[in-house]
Amino acid sequence: MIYASAAAVLTALLFFSSRVCPPSPFPPPSALREVRRSAIEDMLALSLGARRLFADLWFIRLMQYYGTQELYGGEEEEEDGHCHHGHDFGSGKYPEFLALSRHIAALDPYFKNAVLYSAGSLAFNLSRPDEAAGLLNYALANTPSDWKFLMMLAAIGYSKSSEPAKVAQTIAPLVRERDCPVMLKQLAAFLNKKIGNYQAAAEIYADILKTSKDPFYTRNAEKELKKIKDSRR
Amino acid sequence: MKITNGSITAFGSSPAPLAFFPTARSVAAETFRDSVKNRFFTVFAVFAACAIYASLLAGVMAVDEEARVLSDLGLGLMELMTLAYALFHAAMAIPREMETKTIYLIFSRPVSRPAYLSGKAAGLYLLSAFMLAVMAVIHLSMLSLRGFPPGAAYAAIMACIWLKMVIITSLALFISLFSTSPVSTMVIAGIIWTLGHFTPEARFLIEKSAGISAVFLKSAAWLIPDLQLYNLRDAPSAAVPGGAWFRVFYAALWALSAYGASVLLFRKKEF
Repeated sequence: MIYASAAAVLTALLFFSSRVCPPSPFPPPSALREVRRSAIEDMLALSLGARRLFADLWFIRLMQYYGTQELYGGEEEEEDGHCHHGHDFGSGKYPEFLALSRHIAALDPYFKNAVLYSAGSLAFNLSRPDEAAGLLNYALANTPSDWKFLMMLAAIGYSKSSEPAKVAQTIAPLVRERDCPVMLKQLAAFLNKKIGNYQAAAEIYADILKTSKDPFYTRNAEKELKKIKDSRR
Repeated sequence: MKITNGSITAFGSSPAPLAFFPTARSVAAETFRDSVKNRFFTVFAVFAACAIYASLLAGVMAVDEEARVLSDLGLGLMELMTLAYALFHAAMAIPREMETKTIYLIFSRPVSRPAYLSGKAAGLYLLSAFMLAVMAVIHLSMLSLRGFPPGAAYAAIMACIWLKMVIITSLALFISLFSTSPVSTMVIAGIIWTLGHFTPEARFLIEKSAGISAVFLKSAAWLIPDLQLYNLRDAPSAAVPGGAWFRVFYAALWALSAYGASVLLFRKKEF
């Protein structure tokens, strides 16, 4: 009798608590689209509760992909990966870029730096602002009213209307954030330089030198800082 | 297994059943000691080696996301290693004592079966907590050596990993009582572990189904623990109605249910 009543109470509590459990904070598994034969990895990410870890892995892959120079007939690979500096910095086709970025956002929509990095690269380096806005809107569905994403959307809007000063002004608060992706800092510095705001550009380059560990960006920042100092003399 | 300390030897010759808690404490201590003796430090050595290797690799590959990658990788490794080790011991704890006939020695004394089972479970919970604590020290040392502070939710994440271990080891202990081998216990527990991380998605899909299948699926869904509730590693800011207390209550409920079912099953076994 005691056992039966204990079992009944526990069963009722289990039933009740299972109804109270919250829905998943992540997009449904159907949101994951296969890229580069990722089906098994995606299954592991979901079944082991390791979405974040696998999103990290895919972000590393995205950086490797974007950091690898695209070669067209007759071109030779440069030491640093991206061959373009200045106006067409980081440009190229990179057809898999959006698919990889969306995959990361579907795995872990709270990985804000990856979304900002991807959206920034798509909009400002690869000249695909519509894809960047699509990615940001997708991320916003899971983190509505995230100010960083909204700000980036605004900056993309200004870039479409060719207003570099407005873009620089819009992304300025993002750049001041401690964990802002270095690519965005690089963009902000470049835009400030373009509109003649050398002081702001120098400050951002100095910040890149201080905070980033990416040798490509630090070397570029060093070079740009030197140029700005020389031009002021 | 030998029970030499505590109240078991003190009252060994008494025909009356021993007090529940002292007996459970002795069994728990012995289970913990037995588990620690068995390749315990190899696990830490493997964890430390993996963590150091990952830190070197992440430094080169993750560049500005090194802190996040190191933290995620360490926490993931910790969880998987604790899971593997705790499941192995949960699956072996009782069947091994049955095989070696040690259990006859224990029950020849007035040790109650519920006390024995709760002691076994408590020993395994302690084992998980100890493993997580040691690996967390290694992980935090490595993070601080690289100059990264742990995230604000680090302690909460560790607590949630431990609660997940409490649920899964309780279930594994129960399964080991009717399963044919420790391997099948580990496989079944592994399946529950993976299904547990799918529970919110499964509920979402069940809501969309209709007819008899919906009734069947709905009743089956709440027989799987919602482990995603404890997955703070993936969503550190995920809110739960009732907060931390609900998580503790839910884990305690599952542990108690598994314990109750084990007691029911175990009392019918003849030793």
